[in-house]
Amino acid sequence: MDYQYKNGVFIYYLPKELDHYYADKLKRKTEETFKNEKINYLIFDFSNTKFMDSSGIGLMTGRFRRIHDKGGETFVVNVSPAIDKLLKLSGIYTIIKKKDTKDDIIKEMVKGGYYE
Amino acid sequence: MNNTNEMTVEFKSIAMNEAFARMVVAAFIASTNPTLEEVSDVKTAVSEAVTNSIIHGYEGKDGYITLLSRVCGRSVYIEIRDDGCGIPDVKQAMEPMYTTRPKEDRSGMGFSFMEAFMDKLEVESTVGIGTVVKMWKEIGVVKHHFE
Repeated sequence: MDYQYKNGVFIYYLPKELDHYYADKLKRKTEETFKNEKINYLIFDFSNTKFMDSSGIGLMTGRFRRIHDKGGETFVVNVSPAIDKLLKLSGIYTIIKKKDTKDDIIKEMVKGGYYE
Repeated sequence: MNNTNEMTVEFKSIAMNEAFARMVVAAFIASTNPTLEEVSDVKTAVSEAVTNSIIHGYEGKDGYITLLSRVCGRSVYIEIRDDGCGIPDVKQAMEPMYTTRPKEDRSGMGFSFMEAFMDKLEVESTVGIGTVVKMWKEIGVVKHHFE
């Protein structure tokens, strides 16, 4: 499973290697959902990801922009030290919040008025 | 006797080969006994350079990319060459966040990542001829906390 969309919540389950090849593939695959749905929460789940380059950052900032303009919030979760190093270097944590677990994200969503 | 090891591979400029290039280099530099973090750094830098050649150098068209690497002791040298369109202003291209393709969700951080993950980076480019990216890294060097 690459992604899941339900109830205004969009989750990307990122691949083992998030490079230009996979980033573009994921973007194409999910374009329709981003165009047609009102996404309130966007989550990048890095559980399976061992490698990433700046193409991953491009995907994240591009998707962030799309939902941020309509008031959506973005999170990253399950980040390994190697991926964390890249995310830190890119400066992306100034716009996207990092959480240790999905539960932490849900807590923050509920605070913001989310209910299932 | 010169104990430098060297390899060259040439591959087509398709996105699938980004992973191939990373794996080849990771395997080739194994003799320098790098940490996982060092391997990851080199792989990221190679991935950035090859991606640049595919997206910007050849602009998605068919071409060939040459990857050369040398290892001597724990010193690593990597060269990525394309015969693509070339970069008119290398200095500008290397500025963080600069991208010619903001609409395609390109981060503009390719060169910044290469610089951050390698010890030294040089870019030579001629419009209409192509681009060469040269990168150096010493494996096992303890980074100083204060410059």
